[in-house]
Amino acid sequence: MAAATHLHAADRRDLDRIALHPRDVHFEWSDLPLRWIPREAFASHLLNVLHILLPEGERFFVKVFAEALPLIKDDQLREDVLGFIGQEGIHASAHQGVQDYFATQGLDAGGYVREVEYLFRVLLGDRHLPMVKQDEWLIERLAIVAGIEHVTAFLGNWVLNSPALDAAGADPRMLDLLRWHGAEEVEHRAVAYDVFMHLDGRYLRRARTYAVAAFGLCWLWGRGVRYLVANDPSLVPRQKVRFRDLVRSGRRGLTPTYGDIVRCGWRYFQPSYHPSAEASTSQAVAYLAGSPAAVAADQPDR
Amino acid sequence: MSVPPELAGLSAPKGAMWRALRTVVTGYEKVSSFSGRGRPPVRAVARERLMTVNDVRPEAHGVVSLRLVPVDQRELPAWLPGAHLDLVLPSGRIRQYSLCGDPTERACFRIAVRRIADGAGGSIEVHDTLRPGTVVRVRGPRNAFPFIPVARYLFVAGGIGITPIRPMVHDAIRRGTDWSLVYTGRTRASMPFLTEFAELPAGRVHICPDDEFGVPDGKSVLAAAPDGAALYCCGPPAMIATIRAEIPAENVATLHYERFSAPPVVGGTAFEIQLARTGVLVAVRAEQSALAAVRAVLPDIAYSCRQGFCGTCSVRVLGGAVEHRDRCLTDAERIDAMAICVSRGSGRIVLDL
Repeated sequence: MAAATHLHAADRRDLDRIALHPRDVHFEWSDLPLRWIPREAFASHLLNVLHILLPEGERFFVKVFAEALPLIKDDQLREDVLGFIGQEGIHASAHQGVQDYFATQGLDAGGYVREVEYLFRVLLGDRHLPMVKQDEWLIERLAIVAGIEHVTAFLGNWVLNSPALDAAGADPRMLDLLRWHGAEEVEHRAVAYDVFMHLDGRYLRRARTYAVAAFGLCWLWGRGVRYLVANDPSLVPRQKVRFRDLVRSGRRGLTPTYGDIVRCGWRYFQPSYHPSAEASTSQAVAYLAGSPAAVAADQPDR
Repeated sequence: MSVPPELAGLSAPKGAMWRALRTVVTGYEKVSSFSGRGRPPVRAVARERLMTVNDVRPEAHGVVSLRLVPVDQRELPAWLPGAHLDLVLPSGRIRQYSLCGDPTERACFRIAVRRIADGAGGSIEVHDTLRPGTVVRVRGPRNAFPFIPVARYLFVAGGIGITPIRPMVHDAIRRGTDWSLVYTGRTRASMPFLTEFAELPAGRVHICPDDEFGVPDGKSVLAAAPDGAALYCCGPPAMIATIRAEIPAENVATLHYERFSAPPVVGGTAFEIQLARTGVLVAVRAEQSALAAVRAVLPDIAYSCRQGFCGTCSVRVLGGAVEHRDRCLTDAERIDAMAICVSRGSGRIVLDL
């Protein structure tokens, strides 16, 4: 951020940290086409996976971090977590709104959503375990979330710097949702990682949980985009999702590229990694201070 | 894997893939449990600093500035314009004050405080009891008003709202950017740092006390903005509302103002909360939120927005009548849940805590 050039890396890291708070955003979706990037079924639905995967995923983040609060012995970090939880909760309901709207348009994602629910609530859910094991299971899941947050910060940074979406005529309301969400992901990108470092911090666990997070996300995302493309009633003739679709959309700047995704993972495995170096807080702050949804949020008179 | 009973109803997806996944997760759970044996203990991080008040200076009618130096004389953390401190007063009251000094000065913090006669007493305590030599506890700095490096700014300050704006203006000058400042207040005598700003180029600084120019209207304030400006605004809520009403505006790219999270409780009455898991009885005063009262007993309870929209603090209600004031729960959810940051009870309510 401003005036930080003369400082050490650790100072810069602290300066980049801003007090987080959720924003009470509202979106109105009437007339939004299912494929809101005109003539781009794959890219639209790849990004639409957010609406069917994230509501459940982010509610899971909220639950894990709320449960972790008693373990945190750092008041400032606890404050960060409270801001983080609130932002994630609002993200979940904003994407849920799109998912519900899609259902009214004949694109019912129920089958996929039930799988995701089972995954987060049961497979990655709470267990009846002895106290010590309970803490470990909590920290393991928290470390996975820290890995996922690295990916969401990467995606947030990408969507804040994706002029090709505007040029392709993407729906401006959807772009505002994605960029408001992306900017808040950039804003709070260090929180989950810092909590992991506070509670454990060992490289091996960080690397292991990132591998789990990355494989899980790729698998869920692939399943999600195939589900959406297969169930989009307005998509005539039917299409199939192929690996090379991402090559094409990435080349055109409508999605990240395979290379971006590999490099993103590579950085998390660097021993010197810290999220503060991943994106620009100033850019996120600037977007949020101009975003139609964020500027209209928490109007005192509403 | 033992699954809590409330989830037993969530049916497992069928197929070999999901069966395999269940086996993998069970194994993974064992790995995580084994890995936990080598986990280092969590170290507590101290965030509080003892600081001595070493200068108290009147800055305007009803405003003093304080210079705080660390008792251990170590270098203070770096901060950016917009940052604030939590000041723990001798009475235990905690108040937040924007840093108004020079960020490159790493030996002291400077804050300025207006005496608010009809406030909750924090500012009166600062004015009446803090003297050179008084030691206070300080937390932070934290930044809830981040200052971004852009080429053009409009700064708008109302009265004591000049405190975070002052280091922003100096940073803008240092970087040679295009900026202007509209500084309002009741009277010149009540506006801190006025002589300093009066020395800056007249084309950039617009000093508009109400008794000379009347209460400023949003349009004329925004007219001072360079094209495409980032608007940084700090002052009384009414002033911020006036500015917000003009946004979006053609010449303003972004609007920045500081958010103050917990709004005061309006029209509340006292009630009691019984915490079902421990049986503890918590009294909630009329002007206090249920969350604030519960936090005194359960400091690790999760909450976030404190305004009733994010839903983080929603808890299950086991008994009693609830007056819902949130904007996040559906009618179905309200049957047995409440957002304790804003909603209240009457008489005694029982919560699943």
